Amino acid sequence: MADPERSGVDLSRRVFLKSAGGLAAGGALGESALAATNSGLFGDGVERLTGEVEIELTLNGAARKVKVEPRTTLLSALRDRLEPPLSGAKLVCDMGSCGACTVHVDGKPAYACLLLAVDCVGKKLKTIEGLAQGDVLHPLQTAFCEHDALMCGFCTPGFLMSISACLDTKPTATLDEIKESCAGNVCRCGTYPHIFEAAVAAQRVLAGGKR
Amino acid sequence: MSALDPRREDESPKWGPRESMRLLNHEFVRVDAVDKVTGRARYTHDVRLPGMLFAKFLGCPIAHAEVKVDVTAAKALPGVVEVRVVREGEIRFLGQPVAVVAAKTREAADDALRAIKLEITPLPFAVTHAQSLAANAPKVGRNGNTSKVNEDGDGAQVAEAFKRCERVVEATYEVPIQHHACLETHGVVVDVPTADSGTVFHSTQATYGSANEFKGPLKVKQVEVVNEYMGGGFGAKFEAGVEGRVACELARELQAPIHLMLSRRDEFLIAGNRSGCVQTLKLGGSKDGKLLALEASVDKLGGLGGGSHGGFPFHYEVETSHSSTRSVYTNLDSNRAMRAPGHPQAAFGMESIVDELAYALGIDLLEIRKRNAESDVHRRQLDRVAREIGWFEHAHKNAPDLSDATRKVGIGFGLSDWGAGGGPACKVTVEISSDGSVRASVGSQDLGTGVRTYVAAIVAEELGLPLAGVTARVGRTSYGAANASGGSTTTGSLAPAVKDAAFNARRAFAAALAKTLKSDANDLSFDTEGVLDAKSKRRLSWRDACATLGPTGVSATGEWKEGLSSNVIHGAQAARVEVDTRTGEIKVLKMVCMQDCGLPLNRTAVRSQINGGMVQALSYALFEERVIEPDLGIAMNANFEDYKLAASKEMPEMVAIIDDEDTRGVIGIAEATIVPGHAAIANAIHNACGVRLRTMPLTPDKLLMGLAALKPLKPLKKD
Ligand code: FES
Ligand code: FES
Repeated sequence: MADPERSGVDLSRRVFLKSAGGLAAGGALGESALAATNSGLFGDGVERLTGEVEIELTLNGAARKVKVEPRTTLLSALRDRLEPPLSGAKLVCDMGSCGACTVHVDGKPAYACLLLAVDCVGKKLKTIEGLAQGDVLHPLQTAFCEHDALMCGFCTPGFLMSISACLDTKPTATLDEIKESCAGNVCRCGTYPHIFEAAVAAQRVLAGGKR
Repeated sequence: MSALDPRREDESPKWGPRESMRLLNHEFVRVDAVDKVTGRARYTHDVRLPGMLFAKFLGCPIAHAEVKVDVTAAKALPGVVEVRVVREGEIRFLGQPVAVVAAKTREAADDALRAIKLEITPLPFAVTHAQSLAANAPKVGRNGNTSKVNEDGDGAQVAEAFKRCERVVEATYEVPIQHHACLETHGVVVDVPTADSGTVFHSTQATYGSANEFKGPLKVKQVEVVNEYMGGGFGAKFEAGVEGRVACELARELQAPIHLMLSRRDEFLIAGNRSGCVQTLKLGGSKDGKLLALEASVDKLGGLGGGSHGGFPFHYEVETSHSSTRSVYTNLDSNRAMRAPGHPQAAFGMESIVDELAYALGIDLLEIRKRNAESDVHRRQLDRVAREIGWFEHAHKNAPDLSDATRKVGIGFGLSDWGAGGGPACKVTVEISSDGSVRASVGSQDLGTGVRTYVAAIVAEELGLPLAGVTARVGRTSYGAANASGGSTTTGSLAPAVKDAAFNARRAFAAALAKTLKSDANDLSFDTEGVLDAKSKRRLSWRDACATLGPTGVSATGEWKEGLSSNVIHGAQAARVEVDTRTGEIKVLKMVCMQDCGLPLNRTAVRSQINGGMVQALSYALFEERVIEPDLGIAMNANFEDYKLAASKEMPEMVAIIDDEDTRGVIGIAEATIVPGHAAIANAIHNACGVRLRTMPLTPDKLLMGLAALKPLKPLKKD
């Protein structure tokens, strides 16, 4: 095999994690999810998964089955393996530095490119597709539309997930706290001023006030 | 008479008076906003076709090498369908693709990349300006390491003029290579071609044009390019590229759809950049601040490409000027167009040296600009942004703040202009159906600028409909001829054609209606209440009127018409910056931009564009720089962790002002807004503390070095 240094392949820690085959600590996977996998116990208390396993994810309130490899990221499971896919979360940096893949895991924002899908079994996952309640947009989504907090829109799902998590947990967040909540997201089009306006407007709606 | 009065039958389409507009020149929500906030908008990256394979490139890890590729081991891996050589032998730039893999999953594609064996013989390289110009430099360009020098103006005359100057200043300004950093990387999803036609989903600024590029590698006569949503372009996405060509070949030969979107690393290394430059300027002026003489020498750094530079004297009138410009080549990928190609580089040099001269002469920084700006539009804009930024209350107008304060605030200015304009290129179709629906189709792409929205708005305005009454379809070759989105010419070329199509559709509808109603088409007018027959005073709702149409409805096409668009726009920007002299921290507090753009189609989207220009300029000023390790020739920051973009915490207060004194037709606005912001920031830093940063990005370490040079540290006293 080529020396990865020479072949130009980025061997960051996380890439190593994804390519080395998954190691899931015993119990990390839901019992039922594991039933049909080819995992084996090697007597050292560590469960090793190889090849494809079918897991069940709780996505936007529904149970969804998906076949993944132990090293498959949550982002790739959503975008590349789920049928039909959930492609609202975007793959941009693939290393936790842009926020475009942000989803909610048990109500907290997380980079889906930094999570292994197998580690998400049993957790409540929400993606941008689940932010609206049916046809009723989340007030932050409405405010993003009204304040033109989007241009190309590629960063938009990530910003919405980061800021909505902030507003949902702390409706009285200050503007600085809102900025902090999306400090891990980047927008190349430069929609920030409108994003901040939208977040503040959404806050008013969430607090029961007028737009 | 209303703007929609049919008595203008024999006239050509006109925008009409702005006061009577319902949608245009107003603020309204983008028609695709909901698709974007719900994750429904489908970008090229998101396209999934049955049996689709993920393809990825392996790039050469060093800048110059002789490379041999062995794909045997990689091919044997499970899930891997194909591994092939893209290029062997001499590799001339860092990151150039040498192999491609196609696999059933992303993970398997990564496995294959790791299993490719490269035999690399390093060759001598040059990745910096100095390396390329060194006496013993390796040969980089095919014809040497520099281009021929391009001379502009009369050097002898300039030398003479310097003698008449009260003050002359001279300095060298350096601008690094910047990346477009589109969030959606370059790439395509190619469907399996049939015997004579193919479909390519392509993240491109030239949907209509790129179809031709795919025909060869797909071996078909007809190609449909689809690009309904794209995650940014900024000038980098005009070509099919090596990714487009290779993906087409794979799709055809493997008979499987191919998804080939560049990895972030490849995007940084092979997908274009804004060229850097090293520019030495000498500027002289009279006692009262008139610019008399400018001598400039510019080295453009665009990798193996020529680089670009906006030229001098750049928005200022200088009595006499001379410049010599050349390209200096390095073993890096070619620069590509990037939002106002060459202009931000020139702005950094020119705006900086104008400030340096103003201080040398003791002249107000605003006054020297107003005295020498090319255009009166600039003068009125300068006054407005000066007021908005607080210039008239500012204490340091012609000398920097050299006090001992530790947190100090400065103000800086900059100007821009851009040709923009437009011409015949687009063919637009507007269809009115008997069920009352209206559809407008254009081949043009929407880069995030708001094209889809203004297409709907122009048609709705013309037909008296609400915005939601018109569906706009964009970004498909079969929707009609369109120009590439470059040079801010999309709006100037497309909007008039949309207006023409809507105008023609309205006239065709009136003619058909007149026949049914047995009235005169000239008596029929369309407004928000439907159709009114002026003679019979009869009124029909839009729906009822449409119901009189046959099953085929009414359809009309439109083309660019003289008089609806204009060209050349102007902008002025100001920045207010705080520096901390203890830490070197630079905080932009406020930015203001005033910009003319003819008729603003959607004021909300125009303000977004202006903000976007300022944000990108701020990011360029403070953070952005491609870093290549000069001894090893390897990339140090080809990722979003190490290539820093300005984000939420760096955002200042921003004021985007549309210059409403401009009453011309439509003009694109994108490029001009990015031109001077970083220069205004550099000027504000100097104004705040007396340190002139002449090398971008403007970072705390450089500021501290400058402060130390200004005021040498006293040795600590022993007691
Ligand atoms: S793609 Fe996950 S943070 Fe960038
Ligand atoms: S809207 Fe384009 S990157 Fe944010």
